[in-house]
Amino acid sequence: MASVPPDRGDPDPPRHLLVTWLLFGAALLLVLGLFAVRMEQQPNTSRDYPSRAMLPHAEPVLLPPPPMEDEYLPCSDCHADEPINRTPRVLEDEHDEMEFAHGDLWCLHCHAGDEERRLRLADDTRVPFEESWRLCTQCHAKKLPGWRAGVHGKRTGSWRGPSEYWNCVACHNPHLPPFQSLEPKPPPLRPEQITLSGVPAEETTHE
Amino acid sequence: MSDRSQRRERKERGASRREFLKTTAVGMGALAGAPGAAKALDFDVETFLQKNFRRMSDEEIEELVGRLSERYSKAYGKTVSVDATGPIDGVVYGYGLDISRCIGCRRCVYACVEENNLSRDPQIHWIRVLEFEREAALRGIDLEDGNPYYDHDQVPAEDKFYLPVACQHCEDSPCTNVCPTGATWQEPDGIVVIDYDWCIGCRYCMAACPYGARHFNWGEPNVPAEEINPDMHLLGNRPRSRGVVEKCSFCIQRVRKGRYPACHEACPVGARKFGNMLDPESEIRYLMKHKRTFVLKSDLNTRPKFFYFYG
Repeated sequence: MASVPPDRGDPDPPRHLLVTWLLFGAALLLVLGLFAVRMEQQPNTSRDYPSRAMLPHAEPVLLPPPPMEDEYLPCSDCHADEPINRTPRVLEDEHDEMEFAHGDLWCLHCHAGDEERRLRLADDTRVPFEESWRLCTQCHAKKLPGWRAGVHGKRTGSWRGPSEYWNCVACHNPHLPPFQSLEPKPPPLRPEQITLSGVPAEETTHE
Repeated sequence: MSDRSQRRERKERGASRREFLKTTAVGMGALAGAPGAAKALDFDVETFLQKNFRRMSDEEIEELVGRLSERYSKAYGKTVSVDATGPIDGVVYGYGLDISRCIGCRRCVYACVEENNLSRDPQIHWIRVLEFEREAALRGIDLEDGNPYYDHDQVPAEDKFYLPVACQHCEDSPCTNVCPTGATWQEPDGIVVIDYDWCIGCRYCMAACPYGARHFNWGEPNVPAEEINPDMHLLGNRPRSRGVVEKCSFCIQRVRKGRYPACHEACPVGARKFGNMLDPESEIRYLMKHKRTFVLKSDLNTRPKFFYFYG
């Protein structure tokens, strides 16, 4: 009589477990598939609002600097015939009414000298007055990112469309950089000073 | 009595009340229309029966805007246009103010007065510039210590700093929560507005506001005709009648057309910043990311959209 090996159970996993795994896998695929379709249907929605990044003005719109007194213009009236003296010195004959207090700088550190209304960068590039921010930010480089982002300095125009970036020199006098104090507008009236259609408050208040 | 007949009865009662209101209003309107009361800003039937702005249909808003434009044009003798431009999708406004730059010159206060047709007498200012001792600020700012009445020849005064305060346009605004008539609410773009025709002047909102940003109109709107700003918004700078509350609206008439608020453009030191908080490229988002910002009375959890920062 042949001995029958004792039943030790099916070496393969039971059928119901297999089915469970298959179902689980199918469900997972379905969920992932749906998710993928959803992503497909909703492309990046983070740009459906008006964004400043989409505006055409990548470069700042620059306002002209404040005009110089007419008596000095054009520069060539005086400076055309004179040879350029590049020795730093205190001005005594001309421009002596102007106040200068910008570190140790003197005229020709910034002004080109040999070109009308031009500034000279450290690498000898000449830039017009309208682009003076390029000169200023050679030293004040830390201010540049904030100014470009519109957080340092002033902007006018539109919060979503083109806006004017105010040039450094529109607010800071390059020759005398510290902000000058201003006369404030009148203070608000105190409650007891406020009148109602011309009648002083004490006459309208009741006991 | 069945539910249905009860409902019908209620409906009829409602209808008769409406009728009653209408006839009374017409009577009062006739009185108001009597000679001597020809001022164009006076009471009228349409205003009396007007719905809350949020319940109006587009046609009703259009009709109202037309009516007001006509009325104000007549009253001030120039072409006034009132509009009701709605919020822009995907925009929530935020304001930034650099307290390291503000010099307390009050240019913003008066730019606001002109732009928003604020009453000159009795005087109303939506912006208050508070002056603080620098020393005191080291121990923390208490708004109670701020002095709005400083009167120097030149500003900034020594050892002082300045903090302009107007409506903070809170996300969780105490003022709108307490309004009994639903006359004030927050728009989808974050601006807290007032329906001046629904305000009953109870001033609960003024009591609720922790920033003193709301102001009561004690007198008739008092702006010289030649100084009236004719670009008006229904929920913004149109003349407020006597007995209603008013406040800063972020210049709703300007910003919803893409412009900066008036105070922003008036600031001589560029301390004021404005933009769309949902736009990562905007000025306001840049400063929220890169600067040390704070809001006033953050412990109250009103979540203002007005951010002060130290540039």
